[in-house]
Amino acid sequence: MTILEELERIVGRENVSGDPAITAAYSRDQHWTFVPPKNPAYVARPGTKEEIRDVLMLANRENAPVIPWSTGINIRGMTIPVADGTIMLDVSRLDRIVEVNHGMMTATIQPGVTFGMLVEETKKHGLRPAFPDAPLTVSAVTNNYLRGIYQTAPRDGLDHILSFEIILPNGETLQTGSRLLKRDLPYFRYGPGPEIASLFIAGPGTWGVVTELTLKLYRIFEHQKVYYVGFDDLEKPMGLLDRVNREELVSGCRFVDTIHWLPPYLGTFDYEYETLPEFVVVLVVENQDRIFQAQDHIVQTYIAESGGKILDLPQDLVDNLKCEMLGAETSPMIFGFKGNFYCVGYYGPLNLLPQYYRDFKENALEIGFEAEDISFYANTIARFHGQSTYYELEIYFDSSDKRSVEMLRTLHARTVANLLETGIYGWFRPYAGVIEPTLDRIGNFADYWKKLQNFIDPNGIMNPGKLF
Amino acid sequence: MEKMSEDVVLRAISHCFKCKLCAIADFHGSDEKWLALCPSGSYYGFNSFYSPGRFEVFREILSGEIDCGTEMLVKVAFGCQLCGACYERCKEVSKVELDNAELFEELRSVLAERGWLLDAHVRIREDVERTGNAYGASEKLEYPSSGDEVIYFVGCTARHREREISEAMVRVLNASGARFTVLGDEWCCGSPLLRTGQRDVASRLIAHNVEEIRGIGAEKMVFTCPGCLKTFKESYSDLGVELLHASEYINSLVSEGRLQPGKLKIALPYHDPCHLGRHLGIYDAPRETLELIGVEVVELSRNRGNAWCCGSGGGVKSGFPEFATWTADERVGEIRETGSDIVVSACPFCKRNLEDSGVKVFDLAELVSQTL
Ligand SMILES: Cc1cc2nc3c(=O)[nH]c(=O)nc-3n(C[C@H](O)[C@H](O)[C@H](O)COP(=O)(O)OP(=O)(O)OC[C@H]3O[C@@H](n4cnc5c(N)ncnc54)[C@H](O)[C@@H]3O)c2cc1C
Ligand code: SF4
Ligand code: SF4
Repeated sequence: MTILEELERIVGRENVSGDPAITAAYSRDQHWTFVPPKNPAYVARPGTKEEIRDVLMLANRENAPVIPWSTGINIRGMTIPVADGTIMLDVSRLDRIVEVNHGMMTATIQPGVTFGMLVEETKKHGLRPAFPDAPLTVSAVTNNYLRGIYQTAPRDGLDHILSFEIILPNGETLQTGSRLLKRDLPYFRYGPGPEIASLFIAGPGTWGVVTELTLKLYRIFEHQKVYYVGFDDLEKPMGLLDRVNREELVSGCRFVDTIHWLPPYLGTFDYEYETLPEFVVVLVVENQDRIFQAQDHIVQTYIAESGGKILDLPQDLVDNLKCEMLGAETSPMIFGFKGNFYCVGYYGPLNLLPQYYRDFKENALEIGFEAEDISFYANTIARFHGQSTYYELEIYFDSSDKRSVEMLRTLHARTVANLLETGIYGWFRPYAGVIEPTLDRIGNFADYWKKLQNFIDPNGIMNPGKLF
Repeated sequence: MEKMSEDVVLRAISHCFKCKLCAIADFHGSDEKWLALCPSGSYYGFNSFYSPGRFEVFREILSGEIDCGTEMLVKVAFGCQLCGACYERCKEVSKVELDNAELFEELRSVLAERGWLLDAHVRIREDVERTGNAYGASEKLEYPSSGDEVIYFVGCTARHREREISEAMVRVLNASGARFTVLGDEWCCGSPLLRTGQRDVASRLIAHNVEEIRGIGAEKMVFTCPGCLKTFKESYSDLGVELLHASEYINSLVSEGRLQPGKLKIALPYHDPCHLGRHLGIYDAPRETLELIGVEVVELSRNRGNAWCCGSGGGVKSGFPEFATWTADERVGEIRETGSDIVVSACPFCKRNLEDSGVKVFDLAELVSQTL
């Protein structure tokens, strides 16, 4: 039997195809200027865990590359094939919300469950997942498994995974955390023995296919207020950012450039953004009655002392961010400026913010980008660890314009080298364009990483070319 | 109708950032409900049937990587109602120049140039060429005429399949005293051929109808078929004639005191036809007509720009009948959720396809005529 016939046998004829009219749709994403398009050989859409297992076993036997695909919206070329003969394993048919547990404040879901689907369900319990700025159409399993960055990171942190189930390339199923001892108690991250689950997290489909994951949920507060505080320079807001994070006063805290990031936050291109200060700190205060009022009062005091100015924006626009915190719909507007959006995403200490941005802007201008096409985004994520912050350095460009693509490649290489030199904590995720220069710098860690990879996937079938 | 240059197509396609928001209805606008919006993707499942995936298929056709008109390719290109829901969502999140349905029409015309078409669509072309109408009907149906103030363009479906719509419209026009006429030799407006990529034949139909219309010298044309109206607005040269949907015309007749409809005193759901709503932006006029005749509109969960297609558009009813039925079944489920087995619409295609899935559909013109 050919691989196609085997796949047909496993998932059913109607759920697999090797026709380019099907495979082409999995060949390219937003990152195509860095990851060139390539069709997989087959797309298979299993409907059960057993079918996923059988496809993996077939691929392992035949040495056929496999790329797990949940919703394909990663925008970093992470599901674009590198090798010939690739099987694209589209697991979006596994879209069951297994459980929303009100008492435990958890949800157990399959990989085809999007944030939108999940919040529709959790909202009934007055709960929500931690939300990224990613469109609510992305897989909540994959986003968490890839360690996303969330709007409420200062309050809820980054890691929302409690336990999961993963099918390894050899077809074995592995459970993590408290699932190990009792499958219907998936609510605790730390099961018996060492916490090896973390080794898997943030791997771009390289160690197997996650088929179920249990996540933390958070309360939806009735009392919620959003502040947009304008600043005209990069240094001035630093004190405010430091205080509100250190003192755990806010759920959301972002520092962005006005022209590019306010449209997605306010949900409209149609506003006189150029009349506003160049930078904005966006703060979200939320809590239960009375605590909220006290917290809000302190935040207002700190804002007043910061030298920033609370922007007088129409209330319906201000409130758009409250919606976004229950599922981002307008965040993709940032792609709309020039048609394409480049960003390098990473973690670093808060106090380096001005330097990161100035260096990037200087380089981008020198390479030929216009000032209006350069921007940044900073999302603080913790009160500790030197006030860890998630950063994006961004360029708006038109990918059909060859010159700007060339400029971008130059800028990217320079930015990655610069950041590694200046000092960062780590990349948002390991992806093409940042992982290569990084592996050179991490010495024997890279060797152990490769050995572990080899241990889990000796035939190198899982998304080859994305890490090593 | 003009061919887009490859550069324009490729540029537009490269600006799709694959967020897939075009696959679901406005989430916060629907009280955080996950409501599917793209019939094609929802039914077939593979990414090629959603806008972002179909774009990449188009790219590979233009680049020559796809060089064979397989059955699957034809299904990917034509298994979509061109309902425009994807564009409606996309334009809210991006400022770029994608118009998904227009690009998909372009894709179809590229396939048609290579002869990669469905037999069912080729048959429509042959029928149109032979008889001047999309159903190949040979009988000549006569309509009364009372003057040249307004032309009622009947369209193939209200003439040969859903005749009660055109009969009702004629009753309404008669009751208003409007001096109207129907083209003596009305040919298909060209819509089914334009939607299926067969532009060359459509041009001939357009030329014929233009000739007929010019001979009359009316100031207005009224349409009960939004597909015809869209085609006239977008693909015909300016005829110096005001083009109106029946709902718009009826509303003006009422406001001028020429028509005095009665009140039905009933509550009914209204289904927004894609061609009328998303494609022409006419959402309010039909709702106003219903209000004028005492019908309280019960909004469906997916309404206006977020309406779920009836399933028949873009050549799907003829090309993929099972898919058309599935799409209508989905809508009928939503209609029944309102507690009603009856729905109002304003398009003969919607009436036909939704009725095939088991609900009673009244066209606006029918309801108005019932009140006279
Ligand atoms: C406008 C926009 C804004 C964004 N903002 C944010 C943000 O604020 N925060 C954030 O975190 N992200 C953000 N993203 C990134 C993106 O949405 C997430 O990375 C996304 O969750 C991952 O994509 P996906 O869920 O579609 O997974 P896919 O694209 O399907 O897969 C991503 C990777 O995971 C692997 N994979 C897929 N399924 C599985 C599985 N079941 N098991 C194991 N591996 C698997 C794949 O092989 C691939 O390597 C943004 C994206 C957009 C378009
Ligand atoms: S067509 Fe628009 S909404 Fe759909 S995926 Fe592309 S950019 Fe997003
Ligand atoms: S036009 Fe309608 S059916 Fe076609 S891709 Fe867009 S939303 Fe789907």
